[in-house]
Amino acid sequence: MKGKAEMPSRIVMTAIVVLLLFAMWRHYEPPNRDIAFPAGEIVIGVDGSFPPFALDDGGRLRGLDLDLGNAIAAEIGLPARFVNISYYGLYDALISGEVDLLISALRIDPARMDALRYTQPYFDNGLMTVTAPFLGPLNPAALDGGALAYEYASSADSQIRAWEAEGHSYARMPFELPRHALDAVRLSQADAALIDASTLYLYAREHANWDHRREFATREPFAIALRLDRDDAWKLVDQSLSALKESGELARIVGYWL
Amino acid sequence: MSDDLGASPPERSKRKRTRKSLALIASLFLFAALLSRLRPPPPNLLPDKRHTVETVKRRVCVHTLLENEVEEATILRSLELARELGAATIVQFFPWAYAETRAGEFSWRLFDRIVQHADRQGLRIIARLGLVPAWLNDDKTKTLNYLPERGFPMFARYAAAFAERYAGAIDELIIWNEPNLSFEWGFQPVDAARYVRLLQAAYPAIKAANPAAVVLAGALAPTLEPRGSSAGLNDLDFLRDMYATGAGDYFDSLAVHTYGLLEAPEAEPAGDGLNFRRVELLREIMLENGDGHKSISITEAGWNDHPRWLYAVRPSQRSAYTIRAYDYIEAHWDWARHLCIWALRYPADLKSYPDGYTLINADFLLKPIYFALQDYARGWERSIRPWLPPPEADS
Repeated sequence: MKGKAEMPSRIVMTAIVVLLLFAMWRHYEPPNRDIAFPAGEIVIGVDGSFPPFALDDGGRLRGLDLDLGNAIAAEIGLPARFVNISYYGLYDALISGEVDLLISALRIDPARMDALRYTQPYFDNGLMTVTAPFLGPLNPAALDGGALAYEYASSADSQIRAWEAEGHSYARMPFELPRHALDAVRLSQADAALIDASTLYLYAREHANWDHRREFATREPFAIALRLDRDDAWKLVDQSLSALKESGELARIVGYWL
Repeated sequence: MSDDLGASPPERSKRKRTRKSLALIASLFLFAALLSRLRPPPPNLLPDKRHTVETVKRRVCVHTLLENEVEEATILRSLELARELGAATIVQFFPWAYAETRAGEFSWRLFDRIVQHADRQGLRIIARLGLVPAWLNDDKTKTLNYLPERGFPMFARYAAAFAERYAGAIDELIIWNEPNLSFEWGFQPVDAARYVRLLQAAYPAIKAANPAAVVLAGALAPTLEPRGSSAGLNDLDFLRDMYATGAGDYFDSLAVHTYGLLEAPEAEPAGDGLNFRRVELLREIMLENGDGHKSISITEAGWNDHPRWLYAVRPSQRSAYTIRAYDYIEAHWDWARHLCIWALRYPADLKSYPDGYTLINADFLLKPIYFALQDYARGWERSIRPWLPPPEADS
C-alpha cells in the first residue's frame, strides 16, 4: 500500500529533475568567440613596471603576465595585443572597454566584484614560511619561540603580529629588505623567514644550491579580471586557463619567470 | 464552523494548548524582531578636546584616503596619526559622486564626519573635488571620471555647495585630479581647453559661495606623454595650453604632483625626465605667463620603497630622500606652500607596489618613513633604526 502511495510523488520528482536538467542544458551555451572578442583580437591591460610579471623593456613588454596572455590568446585562437597602463588606471581601462581583460599581478579583490569578475587564480603570492630543510612542521605553533626573520612593516610583519596576538611568541628579526630576511635563514642566523612567494622564488633562483623547506602560511591568489557583462569572454579565458593548467603550460610559464 | 466541534474533550484541550503555544512563539518572534530594530545609537567618537598640531615644519602635509573608510574609529586613528606625525595639513578627496547620489540632493554626513574629526585634531584640509555621480551618465561603460561637458554646471553647483558648507573649515579646493591624463577623464582625449572651461564654470561659483576660498587648478600628473598620445599630455605642455586658453584668471594657486622615482631630490630637472624638481619647470611656465605671484601646492609627492617595483628605492633611501626634499624646498622654493606625501594609509593594502607609497600600512603599522618624517616635522632628534643590519656570512 505504502509503495503505491509514494508512486505519484516519485513520478513528480523525476519529472522535475528531468525538467531542471533540460532547462540547464538549454541555458548552457558554449561561449562564442565572435561575441567574446568582436574586434578579432584580445586586448590585454598590463602594468609594465612590475617584473617579473610585466616589464617594459625599452618599448617591448615582456614577463610572466605577457607569456600567459599570449598562451591564452593562442588557446582561444586570436592574437593578443598588450596595452601598458599604470596600476592606478588598470581597472578604469577595463570598465571603459579600453581593454578586454587585465593580466597584471592582480590579487582577487572582493570589493570590485560588483563590476567585474575574476578567473580562477593563475598564481599564489601568499606569504610562505621558509626554514632549513631539517626543521619540522612550518605552522605558527611549531615556530613558537624560534627566531623569525621578515621585512619590517610588510604584510609579513602584520601576519607575525597577528600570530602573536593569538598567543604565539617569536624572537623577531626585522630587516630592511625581504632578501635580508632570507639571507638570515640561508646563513642559519634565523630559524625561519616569512616572505611573499614571488620574492622567495626569485631569491631561490639566485641561490640555486640553497636547500630549504617552504610552505604557504597565507594565500594571495592572482587572477585575470574581466568585466562582469563579458560572460563569453570570461568563459573562454577561464577555460583556456584550465587547459593551460592541465597541459602543464602554466607551470612552465611560471617556472620560467619565477 | 470550527473543526473542534467534532473532537473529543481531550483532543479539544490539546488543540487549544497547541494554539496557545503557537501564539506564544509568534509573539516571541515579533518581540525579538522589534528588539532587533532598536539599535543603540552609534558611539560618539568625536574627541571633546580640540588638539593642535605640534610641528616646526608647516609645509609637512600628507594625503589621506578617508572617503572609503567604513569605520569611524579608523578615520579617527588615521587623523590622530597625521597630527602625531606633525603634519599641519592634509589633502583629502571629497567625491562628488558620494555627496550627490541623486541629482540636486546633497548628503554631507560622510564629509561632515571627516571634517569634524580633522578639525578636532587641529588639521587643515585641502579638498580635492571630483568623481562624477552615476546619474550623470547612462552609459555603464563610462567610469566615474567621465564628465561630459553638459555636466560642468552641475559640477560647479556641487563645488559651490561644498565651498559654502565648509567655509572656514576648508578654504582650499582642488578642481579635478590629474586632468592631463586620459583615464582621469574617463578615457576622453586630454584637452587643456576643456579643463579650462571646467575651471571657468567652477571658479566663480566657488568664489560666490566662499570669497575666502583658494581655488587650486591642475593637480597635474608628472608624465612625459607627447602630444597626440592617447594616454595623456605631459604636464609642461598641458600647463602652457591652459594659459593659452585663458586659465590664468580662474585659479589662485597651482596644484602639482611630483615623484622622485629613482632620483635624489636634488637631481636637476629636465623636460624629458621625471624627478622631484620637475616642479621648477612648471614654475617657469607660471612666470612666463605673469603668474609669479601665485603659489604652488605639491599635493602628491614621494618615493616608493616596494621591494620589487621598477622605480622603487630602499626604505632607508626613501626616508632620506623625503627629508632632503623638504630641506630643498625650505631652502629654494619660497613659492611652495605645502609638500603633501602620498599617502598616509590605504583603507586596505593593495598587495602590490603602490603599497610602497604609504607611511602606515592598513593594519596601522608605522613604517620607517613615518618615524623619519615625524622627527623632521617635530624637531626631534631620535635615531630609530627599526631593523637589524643585513646578515653576513661570517657573523
